[in-house]
Amino acid sequence: MDIQSVLVLFGTFAFLMILGVPIAFAIGLAAFATFLLFMSFDQSVYIVAQQVASGLDSFTLLAIPFFILAGNIMNRGGIAMRLIEFAKVLAGRLPGALAHCNVIANMMFGSISGSAVASAAAVGGVMSPLQKKEGYDPAFSAAVNIASCPTGLLIPPSATFIVYSLITNGTSIAALFVAGYIPGILMGLSLMVVAGIIAKRRGYPVAERPSGQEVIAKTLDAMLPLGLIVIVMGGIIGGIFTATEASAVAVVYTLFLSVIWYREISPRELPGIILESAVTTSIVLLMIGCSIAMSKAMAFADIPYSISDTLLSLSENPLVLLLIINLALLVVGTFMDMTPALLIFTPIFLPVVEDLGMDPVHFGVVMTFNLCIGICTPPVGSALFVGCSVGGVKIGQVLRPMLGFYAVLVALLLLVTYVPALSLFLPRVLLGY
Amino acid sequence: KTLRLNHNNPEDHPLHKSMQFMAERVEELTDGDLKIRIYANAQLGTQRESMELMQNGSLDMARSNASELEAFEESYGALNLPYIFVSADHYYDVLTNDIGADILASSEDKGFIGLAYYIEGARSFYANKAIHSPADLKGMKIRVQPSPSAIRMVELLGANPTPIAWGELYSALQQGVVDGAENNPIALTSARHGEVSKFYSDDGHTMIPSVVMISTSSWNDLTDEQKEAMRTAARESMDFHREQWDAMSAEAVETAKSELGVEFVEVEKGPFIEAVLPMHEEAAAKSPVVADLIKRIKAAAQ
Amino acid sequence: MVLRLVITIAFAVLVACVVWQVVSRYVLQSPSTVTDEMARFLFIWVALLGGAYTFGQRRHLAIDLLPVITTGILRLLVNIGIIAAIALFAGVVMVYGGLDLVSRTLETQQVSPALRLPMGLVYIAIPFSGLCILYYCLTFLADLFRTGRGPNEQEGTASVGGPLD
Ligand code: NA
Ligand code: NA
Repeated sequence: MDIQSVLVLFGTFAFLMILGVPIAFAIGLAAFATFLLFMSFDQSVYIVAQQVASGLDSFTLLAIPFFILAGNIMNRGGIAMRLIEFAKVLAGRLPGALAHCNVIANMMFGSISGSAVASAAAVGGVMSPLQKKEGYDPAFSAAVNIASCPTGLLIPPSATFIVYSLITNGTSIAALFVAGYIPGILMGLSLMVVAGIIAKRRGYPVAERPSGQEVIAKTLDAMLPLGLIVIVMGGIIGGIFTATEASAVAVVYTLFLSVIWYREISPRELPGIILESAVTTSIVLLMIGCSIAMSKAMAFADIPYSISDTLLSLSENPLVLLLIINLALLVVGTFMDMTPALLIFTPIFLPVVEDLGMDPVHFGVVMTFNLCIGICTPPVGSALFVGCSVGGVKIGQVLRPMLGFYAVLVALLLLVTYVPALSLFLPRVLLGY
Repeated sequence: KTLRLNHNNPEDHPLHKSMQFMAERVEELTDGDLKIRIYANAQLGTQRESMELMQNGSLDMARSNASELEAFEESYGALNLPYIFVSADHYYDVLTNDIGADILASSEDKGFIGLAYYIEGARSFYANKAIHSPADLKGMKIRVQPSPSAIRMVELLGANPTPIAWGELYSALQQGVVDGAENNPIALTSARHGEVSKFYSDDGHTMIPSVVMISTSSWNDLTDEQKEAMRTAARESMDFHREQWDAMSAEAVETAKSELGVEFVEVEKGPFIEAVLPMHEEAAAKSPVVADLIKRIKAAAQ
Repeated sequence: MVLRLVITIAFAVLVACVVWQVVSRYVLQSPSTVTDEMARFLFIWVALLGGAYTFGQRRHLAIDLLPVITTGILRLLVNIGIIAAIALFAGVVMVYGGLDLVSRTLETQQVSPALRLPMGLVYIAIPFSGLCILYYCLTFLADLFRTGRGPNEQEGTASVGGPLD
């Protein structure tokens, strides 16, 4: 194993990151430093500059800004309220009805917006005052919101899978999207089971039975926003359009919905929403461009190969190796956000798991699931931060009720890891993957 | 000394095996002085990126094809013209004689030099109906590679050229996003297009070779013996590749017929040739270099 | 600001481009052969200009630990180090390396496959956005000495988490 290049790459990256350099630049400089080991100064700057721009040259990647834009339009268009009302209809008769409602609303909202943080803020913002009024422990309701908000990253459409597809040289996005359904829904359901047990023990109430008329009205009201999922996923599975085209259609649909149909956004607000989406996107995109440069630097230095060799020398048992990789990713997830963790560790671990005969779509689901847990854990966890802030509780308070949820999520992660069918069954049936 | 060679095929692809053959021969011929390390699956970059990296010497070698190379060196355009070759033998003859050698050498001042051509068979149309003449193509949406000559050719034949990414083509054919595509018969089996397109109409419009290249600066760093070894190994690997490819192609046709139920349609090429012939004149009018190459290629057919 | 206007318009055009691709295929039955490439190149520009603009807004994702826990001269040094590292990347890689890439691709007359556009024009986005970032580095440095504000300190409350979280 070529220790020198590993040290230069990870040493530069770690030093700059701890110093507080924005992660995109830290990644780019680490790539540059690694290339300097193999070629001249002029050649190194040339290859990094090329990779940063060229890494963005992908029609697939366009789907990310479009899905983000569609999500932002939806968020301003007041869909959270409509989805929550519909979730109440679905979960009203269960003990701890509002907790279940929170999970279901997160699954629907997250599916559409593709953002755990936006979901935790929009859904949790509405739900936590309601829950407080009915006597729920605020730490418990915040924990439910935090643990369930990442479901939308697994339930498609999901920008996370697009990033994964790109960094793995084009793993089928349609297959990844469809593969996310069962694990994402299982994640929501198992959280509901735990929440239900706790709610029953504490005697949290069921909701009032709504009238038949209300049920119909609320269901119909949620159909239009949920129609987005039907259009996007139906179009992709049916082969009518590609993921990127679907994302552009999603933008048009949400525009129609919130500007013309609901009239909740005035056309004058649109430039602001577009710019905000461009800003959010470019944070990811610059990081992607630099990560592509880093993955090329790793390939030049044979780093994935070395790491794969080292791991394979630890054990030849695939079960053990997958456990090691999952543990490593869980540790990474505690202190790193989703996107950089995905960008940096996918090219390192994918060759190893492919050697073990694992399908790249399956690994994409495992990786995403794992990092979903990561954004709920301290010290760095975006879902944790946002969930605590909208729930009005301190991080220290929420950790106790979170423990049960962590346990169930980790158990489910292992299940998703060791039962490939959970991920691959749907793509096989629906797409002939 | 080890040279890095980057390409975008998987490791079980015949092109990869031919490059491996070349690498082994180079190592033998130089008694281990010169090695080639092959990076499959575009690990070091796409074909276009590889070209740009070779131009500044960050990458030693790469494989691309004549269709992509046209954007870097116009001479390759002559090989991409439909019906420029009259037979598989004429095609291989041009690639191995001085015309092929001149094209390989033509890009020296652009930062790279061609070493070997690897044939990839003749490309034909496939769809869910038989295509006997250009009239059958009228109004059909045909997937093409995003190159001006491919687009122009399909237009001249009366169809609607539709650029779709290779990875999405299977479902595009299945769902009718496009009505047909064009490629060699191996696409029917390796990309399973034979499952969704049941007629392969053997019009053989283009024969576009892959090209293995070395950066001009890496080439100039080699000793004369090393250059000679590279040339020998490259030439030997061309023949090795041709044999391998022809065997695979025949096998693909068999599998497509027997297992996928694809019907192979004999096509009268005359009307096709007539329809696309203006392209030869257009290409010649645009560049004297290409005009000269076209004349020489046609002369070699006699 | 100009950058803001350009990004907003380019983004809107981008959406239109891809929608047109779907419309031309299904409604007009004559698929567009250039929207794919046009969208990809426009996107590179939007992404890189957006990256520079976002940097100017101090919104790139960083682990803001050292600049927060240190004080006095040490904090100043940490912040100078951050700005220097960014300026190094923007100046050396994006401007110097980017210009090399642009001039080489223009020199060898490489063109894009569908639009036949010189690739050099696409790549100009790199040095251009590098220059913008360098400019912001200078203003951040001035801010640091004048008001003590570090390069990662956003106005108002900082947004939390990665954009895809
Ligand atoms: Na989603
Ligand atoms: Na965390």
